[in-house]
Amino acid sequence: MSPRKTTQVISLDSTLPVGGSNRESMRRPLLGRGLVRQSRIAGILFTLPATLVFLVVLTYPIFQNVRTTFYSVSLMTGQSKFIGFDNIVQILEDQELAKSVSHTIVWTVASLVGQIGLGLIAALLIDKPWRGMRFLRTLFLIPYVVPVIASALLWQWMLDGHYGIVTEPLHSLGLVSEGMSPLGQESTSLAAAILINIWRGFPFAMLVFWAAMQTIDQGQYEAASLDGAGPWRSFISITMPNLMPAVVALIALRGIWTLMYFELIWLTTQGGPMGSSQTVAVYLYKVTMGEFQLGYGAAIATVTGLSLLVMIGVIMLFRRWWRNR
Amino acid sequence: MGLIQPSGKRSRLRVFPTIGRVIGLSAVAFFAIGPLCWMVASSFRPETELFQDPPQLISSGITLDWYREVFVGSEVLKWFNNSFTIAVLVTVLSVVMGTLGGYAITRFIFPGRRVFMGALLMSYLFPAILLLIPMYLLLSYLNLIGTIAGVVLAHLAITLPLSIFLMASFANSVPRELEEAALIDGLGLFGAFLRVAIPLMRTGIATTCLFAFILSWDEYLFSSAIAQGKAITVPVALAGFVTSFDIRWGAIMALSTLVSLPIVLLFGFLERYFEKGLTMGSVKG
Repeated sequence: MSPRKTTQVISLDSTLPVGGSNRESMRRPLLGRGLVRQSRIAGILFTLPATLVFLVVLTYPIFQNVRTTFYSVSLMTGQSKFIGFDNIVQILEDQELAKSVSHTIVWTVASLVGQIGLGLIAALLIDKPWRGMRFLRTLFLIPYVVPVIASALLWQWMLDGHYGIVTEPLHSLGLVSEGMSPLGQESTSLAAAILINIWRGFPFAMLVFWAAMQTIDQGQYEAASLDGAGPWRSFISITMPNLMPAVVALIALRGIWTLMYFELIWLTTQGGPMGSSQTVAVYLYKVTMGEFQLGYGAAIATVTGLSLLVMIGVIMLFRRWWRNR
Repeated sequence: MGLIQPSGKRSRLRVFPTIGRVIGLSAVAFFAIGPLCWMVASSFRPETELFQDPPQLISSGITLDWYREVFVGSEVLKWFNNSFTIAVLVTVLSVVMGTLGGYAITRFIFPGRRVFMGALLMSYLFPAILLLIPMYLLLSYLNLIGTIAGVVLAHLAITLPLSIFLMASFANSVPRELEEAALIDGLGLFGAFLRVAIPLMRTGIATTCLFAFILSWDEYLFSSAIAQGKAITVPVALAGFVTSFDIRWGAIMALSTLVSLPIVLLFGFLERYFEKGLTMGSVKG
């Protein structure tokens, strides 16, 4: 039994579920004579309610989704017909889906770069024991807390083609045509949605970076400055290496969620105009909730889910390699 | 419990000189909070000033007309009542099941534990949109479309994995020695859980409540398919508001302000717990 610290500073890397680095410390059960049998029964009883809910709302739906992949479902009659791999073949030939995939990549990469970049800058800015910093930190977190429906509507209003407070200077600069909203213009809709996503997501990255900065041993900075290192030198050689686990975790977790993040794009552009901001998640929603092609939708969901599984596997291997370097 | 504390007066990294830091902080504050101020300001603007092209930053008067329009012209109280009922039910269910499950995987060795933890990790990472179709089919098969119970069940798919994960992290940081002492004193496993562990996990329970409530209040994807008619929630109703009226931006900003208010207040009061939960690496979206 390894000794376990009872108080420890939260380290993001050790608490994130990806890669299961937490497993070792989780392994220690309650000790006591004759507890083995009791512990088996208690464990099963305690996890039973959650297991039942998981079976109903997660396991069964996933199983059902894979099954539906091979059927053509009519919502009107409730009939489904077995069609084998037809839906999968359709995926390979779907030009609109291919376009959505490339939009998804742009959306994810740009959102992550923006959120992590701005989050890092904001974390460096608030990492100072000034009076009122705590209040500012709370303030900066608010965009992340506001319900996504409110954020989406608010930005639609600010980017309105006629009355939008943000659109006006864009019109003057000629970046957006007169009377148009950046969200309603093919050339700018995806970029506008990404901007909103950066606004919404950067506070999360900021908090994670800031928390990681609090765990850096300040002595390192003192030693570096005695050695004549300037602030940038210290930043590059001390801060950044200490933040790398947080960066990797952020890319992994937020990456997976941003790829399939649906609400923000749907509520601002609905993937338009002309599919210019349509990601896979939005396309999937349209195919199912708009066109009621449930079989084809299920096929897209299955293939996407499998691709994500592969990605998660690669990320876990990468993190294992990273830790054991 | 791990605490994050600014490290006081010790020397820290100085990348920004003081002036630069003040300017930078102001810029970030403007970017983060400016839009929200504009939302609130717009909801109090008279119609003539709201709809002028080009828009003006300064308003000469304020009005409550938009709020009046919202409360008279829509069933806003019913929407809020639905959202609130659903969020409370989801919170209670996920926290109870999350506490039991999270505690069990840190304290007990039982058959199926590894499978449970694997399923937890998968469901935690699995995007909700991929579950939409089968969830919809399942709930329509159970005749739960358009009912509070259906929405609650769908929301649990999102909040439960997070709740178990959060509670497991908190349970893991509570010392086991106290429970072991209670066991020696003759309290059973359940007694030790109820009387010793639960009080020690207060912070974790509060944090989990906060996240479950926010996630449920905020949820749009499943609700848009399931919360129809009588069970409609605020986000779904609000999204419908944009297309059904000739866009009444003042009223929409008033509603957006109203839907944000409970969450921002909750966050303001429980900000400490919120930060703790976030740094534990939680929360989708």
